[in-house]
Amino acid sequence: MADVALYHWEPNANSGKPMLALMEKGVAFDSHYLDLLNFDQHKPEYLAVNPLGTIPAMTHGDKVLTESTAIMEYVDEAFAGPALMPADPADRWRVRWWMKFMDQWLAPSFSMIGWSVFVGPAVRAKDPEELKAAIERIPMPERRVAWRKAIYGSFGEAEMKESQRRVALGITLLEEALGQSEWLASDSYSLADINGFNLAYALPLSQPTLSNDALTPNIMRWLRAIYARPATRATWTMGRTDMAKRVSILESEPA
Amino acid sequence: MSVTLYHGEPNGPSLTVLAAAFEKNIAAELHRIDLAAGDRHRAAMPHAVEIDMSIEGEGPVLVAGGVAMADSVFIACYLDDSGTGPALRPADPYARWEVMAWCRYVIERVAPAAAFLGTQAHLADRLAAMDDAAFAHLVGPIASTDLAERWHAVRAYDFAEEKLADSRAKIAQAVVKVEAQLQDGRDWLMGDFGIADLESYAWLAGMVSLLPDAFADAPRTAAWLARVKARPSVARALALASDDTPENAWAPGPEINRWG
Repeated sequence: MADVALYHWEPNANSGKPMLALMEKGVAFDSHYLDLLNFDQHKPEYLAVNPLGTIPAMTHGDKVLTESTAIMEYVDEAFAGPALMPADPADRWRVRWWMKFMDQWLAPSFSMIGWSVFVGPAVRAKDPEELKAAIERIPMPERRVAWRKAIYGSFGEAEMKESQRRVALGITLLEEALGQSEWLASDSYSLADINGFNLAYALPLSQPTLSNDALTPNIMRWLRAIYARPATRATWTMGRTDMAKRVSILESEPA
Repeated sequence: MSVTLYHGEPNGPSLTVLAAAFEKNIAAELHRIDLAAGDRHRAAMPHAVEIDMSIEGEGPVLVAGGVAMADSVFIACYLDDSGTGPALRPADPYARWEVMAWCRYVIERVAPAAAFLGTQAHLADRLAAMDDAAFAHLVGPIASTDLAERWHAVRAYDFAEEKLADSRAKIAQAVVKVEAQLQDGRDWLMGDFGIADLESYAWLAGMVSLLPDAFADAPRTAAWLARVKARPSVARALALASDDTPENAWAPGPEINRWG
């Protein structure tokens, strides 16, 4: 048994962030796969680890850590292996700025779209009474609200339009930033790239008219470069659904 | 290295960064700007994408070695890495995780609620009294569409009761969390004084007069607020205020989470 255990769903969004960071650092960990669509994260076995019922969570010895971006900073600092934060303090600031921008502005818009086309319909196929009970078991009130919105597809037209606007603008900003440096926030591969890849790896598939070799060559170069890394390959083999398989779009040759 | 700090009144994110700079003996040239008048968006200010698209909303801007930075917690981390004086974050990785996770909670849950309540109480009337041309001049240069919308919402007094109730609940929860953190009799939230104290104080100080009930049964929190206020770096920042009530200085902040 490893000293580190990670409770995660697919290599995607928040779950994928600490998975990929641990792989890059070469840290062995016990993988506990939780099926988000089966509400595994709200079952007593998991609530015993993280009473808030959010994923991912990581244990290191007797310590329990939550919040995927903060976990990544811990992984970088607590273990040997290649540094995933740049040495320069201003570059470190930029890594954190981009992670917050993605975590709190861009990713929620991606997920609003993703949930309306993928997660919501998948979950709605379940028994309605069972679903209702599952929502009641969610510990955090704000997560109950979010799951209700996702499950019942109650996002308004204006909200979805705003999410589309943010996704389009976010793609433009990422493309510009990646036109200025090889990696997202500095000249070295960092947590910002790990964070961004988990958000954007399926972009050429999910937003083909906004992100492709002609329109966003720097994003495509960046995604392919991250996908080529052994740690990324290893992480994405841990996926169990078609969601993770979308990464194969990056096996295409640049147009 | 030349360092310039554009800051608003010593409240919210401006207070965090001013006090952090003083804690770390950073010789910054200070430029006061009126965040509540939209000064941050004027042509004379630096306009990198990280400034224009900062989701903190109307916060301070630090320019160091030609790099313009926004977002108070991360500027404070930068100052902590660059300056002298006692560390504002612990050295142990797990203790540092506690600080970053705590600050994430503050910027994601507490700050939007505080800015919502603060602008309702202290900015809405002022914006409503402006004529249309003056307001258009204020919001015209704002690059972020959603930040501009928050300005418009304040002027239109668009404060839905549901969001007000949720914001009040968020502040009350934050006080409960602070009180629990101080339960063992410690002076500062994370043991040693640091960024978590600054950022938490900066957003909560202005809530005491607005939501007295939330603070009524929290004696440890009250004592902690007083300790932070008396800290020399914070006192020095507060002394820069242009009136006696910097805790009532509010401008549109981070948005309330769209997922609820």
